[in-house]
Amino acid sequence: MFFRRAGISHTRYRDERQIWPLPIDRYTVFLIAALLLAAPFLIDRLYVVSYLLPLIIWSTAALGLNLLMGGAGQIHLGYGAVIGIGAYSSVHMLRAGVPFELAMIGGGLAAAAIGSIFGAVAMRVKGLYLAMATLAMQYIVDFVIIQFPAISGGTQASLPVPPTSFLGFPVEGDRVPYYVALVICGIVTLFMLNVRRTAFGRALAAVREKDYAAAIIGVDPFRFKLLAFWVSSFIGGLTGAVLSVCYYRTIAPEQFHLDLSIQLVAMVIVGGLGSVLGVFFGVALILFAPILLNQAVALLADQFGMNLPMDLRAHLPLMLYGGLIMGFLLIEPLGLAKIRNNIRNYFLVWPFRHSRQ
Amino acid sequence: MDVILLLELAVNGIFVGLMYALVAAGMVLIYKTSGIANLAQGALAMTGAYVVVMLASAGLGLPIWAAVPLAMVVMFAVGAGIERLALRRMIGQPVIMVIMLTLGLEIFLRGLLPGVFGASVKRLDIGIPNAPLFLGELLVSRAILIGGGVSLALILLSILLFNSRFGIIMRAVSDNQTASWSVGIRVERAIAVAWGLSAAMATTSGVLWGATQGVDWSLSLLLIKALAIAILGGLDSIVGVLIAGVVVGLAESMATGILDPIVGGGTRDVVASVIIVVTLLVRPHGLFGREHIERV
Amino acid sequence: MALTRRTMLTGAAVAALASHLPVRVAFGQDRTVRFAFMQDFTRIYTFVTSEYSQGQRDYITLVNGRGGVGGYTIVADISDHANDQPRAIEAYERAKAQGAVLIDPLSTPVARALVPRALEDQINMITAFSGRSDAADGTAFPYVLPLTPNYWTQAGLLIDYFKQQDGGSLQDKTICFVHIDTPFGKEPLPILEKLAAKEGFKFLAFPYTPPGNDQSAIWPQVRRARPDWTVFWGAAVGQTVALTEAVRNGLDMSRVSSSVWLSESDMEVVGKDQTVGVMKVEPCVSGHEPKIIQDILTEVVAAGKGAGPQDKVGTSYYNYGVMLAALMVEGVRRAAEIAPDGPVTGPWLNAGLRSITAFDAEGMIPPTTITPEDHQGGGYGRIARWDGEKFVPQTDWFSANQDIVWQEIRKYSEEFKKNGK
Repeated sequence: MFFRRAGISHTRYRDERQIWPLPIDRYTVFLIAALLLAAPFLIDRLYVVSYLLPLIIWSTAALGLNLLMGGAGQIHLGYGAVIGIGAYSSVHMLRAGVPFELAMIGGGLAAAAIGSIFGAVAMRVKGLYLAMATLAMQYIVDFVIIQFPAISGGTQASLPVPPTSFLGFPVEGDRVPYYVALVICGIVTLFMLNVRRTAFGRALAAVREKDYAAAIIGVDPFRFKLLAFWVSSFIGGLTGAVLSVCYYRTIAPEQFHLDLSIQLVAMVIVGGLGSVLGVFFGVALILFAPILLNQAVALLADQFGMNLPMDLRAHLPLMLYGGLIMGFLLIEPLGLAKIRNNIRNYFLVWPFRHSRQ
Repeated sequence: MDVILLLELAVNGIFVGLMYALVAAGMVLIYKTSGIANLAQGALAMTGAYVVVMLASAGLGLPIWAAVPLAMVVMFAVGAGIERLALRRMIGQPVIMVIMLTLGLEIFLRGLLPGVFGASVKRLDIGIPNAPLFLGELLVSRAILIGGGVSLALILLSILLFNSRFGIIMRAVSDNQTASWSVGIRVERAIAVAWGLSAAMATTSGVLWGATQGVDWSLSLLLIKALAIAILGGLDSIVGVLIAGVVVGLAESMATGILDPIVGGGTRDVVASVIIVVTLLVRPHGLFGREHIERV
Repeated sequence: MALTRRTMLTGAAVAALASHLPVRVAFGQDRTVRFAFMQDFTRIYTFVTSEYSQGQRDYITLVNGRGGVGGYTIVADISDHANDQPRAIEAYERAKAQGAVLIDPLSTPVARALVPRALEDQINMITAFSGRSDAADGTAFPYVLPLTPNYWTQAGLLIDYFKQQDGGSLQDKTICFVHIDTPFGKEPLPILEKLAAKEGFKFLAFPYTPPGNDQSAIWPQVRRARPDWTVFWGAAVGQTVALTEAVRNGLDMSRVSSSVWLSESDMEVVGKDQTVGVMKVEPCVSGHEPKIIQDILTEVVAAGKGAGPQDKVGTSYYNYGVMLAALMVEGVRRAAEIAPDGPVTGPWLNAGLRSITAFDAEGMIPPTTITPEDHQGGGYGRIARWDGEKFVPQTDWFSANQDIVWQEIRKYSEEFKKNGK
């Protein structure tokens, strides 16, 4: 915990450019990875199935969106629709007998194809205007899913996911879906950590900072914005497949509505734009704050015998949740990742505060 | 498809569009002074409607003609207060964070008002009779007619405001906050007033919509449509909002009348979306928005 | 934000306090049956949930106050899932971990999403007036129990009533169906189309985009179609706006009807006097007359144990809540008769629920019989009209067009059996 920097001096540039230059960070990452792998055997299934699993899946999706928003600086208000395209195409492929591994890729490709068409259309506009163009995509995709029973699955509008297997393991019960989601999330996370160090990542950063300036130094903004849309939609589609097979097991149009898009944007922003770790914090806050606040309010009301009117008691968590988002942004507008960095920097040199930059 | 029906749909569409434009005008007011898209505009409309209900029927029992102006005063204070407590601390922060803050505010208000005043739908009677009004063959709904008229009047009023001394101050602030500061304009006060006025306008739209649908949290859903109209018109143009409102209202009404029977589904939002995307492709800054000059 | 030692310490203190909040409630004592009422209090279903939940809790307080049923006391956990799927799944898994044997999500999307889990875990899911209509087929959905007439039956009841009113024939009449353009709103379409072919009436459907706060372009078309009967199908704000627009377009209110989703508060929002004559489907008696409501008033509300404001007791949705709680408790009673010593599990309660026979909740609901095949309870309901103050029944309990409804149910349940597992 303390004096983590003591005695560490990098002698090669290579060493300093590692993703985790400090050994203590590497150990922490290994420890967390090991804990995540062992989680189904360590903790109650309730926490695996209804906390860890959605955390992992939503984080995968939010990482994809983060590449677009934090990496390339493009707002996307239709990411829920992208996930929906991936979910519906992969489930239809599964029902047609395609193996899950291929259906997952297929869902990703379908989402990437449609997502980058909308991306190309939206290329002319920026900022809030882009947000509006992508919002339009959300409405159009919603409309298509609901209006065609062949897609949505008849009047009941719910499409059960057939039993399937991943690399030979049947995806059922509590553990296999968790590991499938964890593997996908791990791959996406590693990709995101490394993408910033590639030419592609640097080009995106240039486009994000100022697309005209990027054009002047020879980075084609159109090409890289489109690529960013393609990659992030692919990840969205992939997550859609994982989400429907490992978590929902029955998919319905409501699951991919505007609410999901806004939720994901909120996760990325509250976590901290562009930060990989922040995404996980943001997802945890937005996903679990309402649940935990609800339980806390119920518990306090019961234990202290507060006879709150039902309406107030039901809406108090919503209020606290909104207040929490506002509070975090007021305290630290750069998001949870920045708060975490502040804490980390504090302890890196603790107790020698004066040595902080 | 007969002409009378089309005419009727057109008239309804235009006036409903005006009512949407009023919500959007509040957003433009804030955007023009501080460059923030206020995602809590729908929630402010809901708050205003709740305040009116509390002042009128359910709470103090004031007559409606007294309750609405009083609520507008209260909401002016609320709007200015929000600016003072939350937004002012965010000056200089990335715009996207500030927008997110307004989304947090939206969630907060949506919890606060139904929580305190009750979640069930509340009746808001502003004394417009529901009885049908026939102009020859043409049926026009009084509520929509009056709502559209009031909205038009308020929007015109805010155009006038922008040409007054105070409007010039606001335009200066929106052009360049630092420069305005240096010539002695009180930037914070201008932004606070913009928030106050916007909240008061939101109250009116909350009342107009609440009179038809009742008052509950769903009034905050006005946000999405208002955002679409504001962006179509150009986020910094009140005239643009007026025209965009009419265009969207008309298009939606016509789509419902002509396309729905052919497609067999509600095409309203989709048609509106397509119109917005196409317009943005042709004019990326909205119909009347100012072109933003970017410098490297 | 520059981090100082003080913020650090406060942060640590808050975190330490928060980590001590127990997330789980202890298991209940023996001989209890745990129900999980996870419902949407804050998002889409706000129009019904608080009254519905109040009714459920008051009835359960009544039963527990009398010493429980069949030697068991009922524990009801209330939670809010806000119509959000991850929250609903969390609530479901929590309920399962706490040993709940019955859940009542009261939300169509949530109920549909939980179907595979409930079937797998053998937890009884009540999908009253929500969820999949084809869950009426108990052979395909053993643990999904609507217990109430589904939307197809409600549509069938309405058409049958129109037919009775028009002298036994709907030949060449025009019926307009204004519905919200979601899977829920589109659900009755196949039944209505079939009935149109069978009865020979002209059927026109008008979808409106959700949430339905602006229907001004829909109703002029309805008026111009000169309908003999109009049915509007939606929920929450869509219902009040539909009624308002119907009034504004001068439709004859006595020829306008809706499903079960219409309540006194909707009428009050639109205007009590302007809507006289509007019809709805009633699955149970509304108002204070039923004996159960009287008992609740004297034994629960008067004793200060009511779950909410007294003026809500006896509203339509409150009584729906009482009705469903009564059916659930009856299920427990039957289960305790079949196997008095439990153990209390999903299958134990399931056996009870699926053997409810001619239960009428002391005159409050139509005699309901649930069998392993029929989870709908026969599909009984009645038509009631708004008289300016309350809903007045126009018919006795009746059931109609069940042959067509069941064709449709089987069509989808067969498909589910084939593909679902």
